[in-house]
Amino acid sequence: MIRTIAQKEFTTALRDRRFLLLGSIILLLLLTAALTGFSSYQLIEGQQKAAQESANESFHEQPDRHPHRVAHYGSYAFRPKPVLSFLDFGLDSFTGSMVYMEAHQQNSANFSQAQQSGSLTRFGEMTVAFVMQWLIPILIIFLCFNAFTQEREEDTLKVLLSQGISLKQIATAKIAGYSKVLAVIVVPSIALAALFLFTLNNFSWNTDLILRIIVFIISYVLYFFIFITGSVLISALSKHSRTALITLLGIWIFTCVLLPKAAANLGDSLYATPSKAEMDAEVHHEAKEGMNGHDPLDKRTADFKKALLLKYKVDSISQLPVNVDGLVMAEGEAFSSKVYQQHFEELVATYRKQDQIAVWAGFIDPYLAVRNVSMGMAGSDFAHYVDFLNAAEKYRFALAQFLNGQQATKMHYKDKETRLSKEIWEKYPDFNYEMPKISWALNNQVIAVTALMFWTILIYFLSIFLIGNLKNI
Amino acid sequence: MDIVLAAAELSKNYGDKHALQSLNLELRKGEIFSLLGPNGAGKSTTINLFLGFIQPTSGAAYINGTDVSKDPVGIKKHLAYIPEQVMLYQNLTGIENLALLSALAGFDYSKEELVNYLEQAGLQTDAIGKRVGSYSKGMRQKVGIAAAVAKNAKILLLDEPTSGLDPKASNEFSELLIQLSGQGTAVFMATHDIFRAREVSSRIGIMKNGKLIDMLDGSRLNAGEIEQLYLDYMKN
Repeated sequence: MIRTIAQKEFTTALRDRRFLLLGSIILLLLLTAALTGFSSYQLIEGQQKAAQESANESFHEQPDRHPHRVAHYGSYAFRPKPVLSFLDFGLDSFTGSMVYMEAHQQNSANFSQAQQSGSLTRFGEMTVAFVMQWLIPILIIFLCFNAFTQEREEDTLKVLLSQGISLKQIATAKIAGYSKVLAVIVVPSIALAALFLFTLNNFSWNTDLILRIIVFIISYVLYFFIFITGSVLISALSKHSRTALITLLGIWIFTCVLLPKAAANLGDSLYATPSKAEMDAEVHHEAKEGMNGHDPLDKRTADFKKALLLKYKVDSISQLPVNVDGLVMAEGEAFSSKVYQQHFEELVATYRKQDQIAVWAGFIDPYLAVRNVSMGMAGSDFAHYVDFLNAAEKYRFALAQFLNGQQATKMHYKDKETRLSKEIWEKYPDFNYEMPKISWALNNQVIAVTALMFWTILIYFLSIFLIGNLKNI
Repeated sequence: MDIVLAAAELSKNYGDKHALQSLNLELRKGEIFSLLGPNGAGKSTTINLFLGFIQPTSGAAYINGTDVSKDPVGIKKHLAYIPEQVMLYQNLTGIENLALLSALAGFDYSKEELVNYLEQAGLQTDAIGKRVGSYSKGMRQKVGIAAAVAKNAKILLLDEPTSGLDPKASNEFSELLIQLSGQGTAVFMATHDIFRAREVSSRIGIMKNGKLIDMLDGSRLNAGEIEQLYLDYMKN
């Protein structure tokens, strides 16, 4: 019975010219989004890879030098674009993709797409995720708004019921039928996206990627199910098709437009973040409390030197077996890095608090839930971005300390003439960032995943219960 | 006994309005019963109660011995319902509509069998593969009848089935009802059409303001007499 009605819904939808037109437009948009997303991914990934190679080469090709010059020459960390981010750009367009790594200084990431593009990028891009999160729900609404109202208005509901089928069965069948219709539109785009993945030169399947794709797809399947079932429910509870359509469009505006904005604004007003200039000034001010290798009159440096003389039981700095300048640099670096890290962690914690409002709002808005899961699986959410920044800072700190160590152990005190062999930096390992595993990504999105599952279960049982107990047929 | 449809003190109120009051009725296998009455008399309410689409305020409706309110889905396997406007799915063809309705009733007919049912119901062969959106009321009625026959139902519930049909179609419809009755199908028909009711029915009920006020023997009165009686009741 259910299969029969589902097939009927499928056939009638495909014979409906209005739906065919709208469905074709959405399909076209999805395919275009997959195509443009992929070419954009290839372009950015290619550029960043080339830039990273060039930066590595420049670093390695430095001549024999004073190690502290090498530390100031610095290097660059380019964030590799996650493979699945071509489906969901997430925050990638707004967050920087490159960090300049140098001694004493923790630079923020620069060169976001939004910075480099026209202002339109700031209003959202045409990505597969955008079409699936925003436009497909509209298609679903136009597909399902009259699921029951039309049957009622045209009296076919009684004809169906008189065949010995229950309202619950009709509702289930309609949900199945509409899901099948939607699959006709979404599956080709997913297939195209998969085809794109295969064409990548350096692409290789791995368990983590497969699992990310599976969770990505499942999250959208649940999202569409929530909208389909919700639309069928609203249709069943409405007297007229027009009422159902207006109600559903109102719900769409609330869930996809108003609530996400409200959640973001609420987060901003509840948990204010310092501006970059404020934070830089604070970090700079606090870092002054530590040793500064470039200031000969600094008291803390003098104390540190005294302590060293005692430790090595010598009378003068020149008698030390190590170069005190390198050690002072290392101490200063450790201190400033600690200060920066504290501020950075506070900033990230504030962003997370802001973000948590939108994450918990997923329990009242499935759009917010799927948006977070989607970004998390695509590797374009805030957590992945912070992970990259941490990796870049870790590398920067290790490099600076390595060079300070070289200065401390291979150069004499006050020696500004000696040049260390370029082989030292030639052999220094490159910055090599690997995206975290899916378990880490899921752990960051556990609330959003739970919210999505909560919605799925709630809407299903609510629909079955309310439709099954409808009094007015 | 062969009683396939019955009402025992069946009543339905909508607020203060008594849509149906204490209806007692029994319909036997193969019997055709017509219910006459003006608009708002309670005819459609009675049919909806037998279909289980609405719950009675008191009393009970029985289909094949089962209380409708106890098993509103299960009783429908014995029933076929043809409303005044047989509403079908406009984007499906006649044969697709019949296939759908038959499948829902649990019958998996071949294309030839479906065509047979439609032709038996009087639908022109060239219309069978056309979408129902292009059908006239009479053609849709024929698909509805074909669905009822294909369902092999013991009871036909008809709500104003001949309303709007041309005389030829109406006459063909009467012939079909008599044929079905001969095969043992009980027919409950709510109608305004006194002449058609007289033509096919063994008993004719007259309903006014939710009450069954008289039960006439179709074989003992002619159409003119029934009409006169009906008009007298409506005046009082």
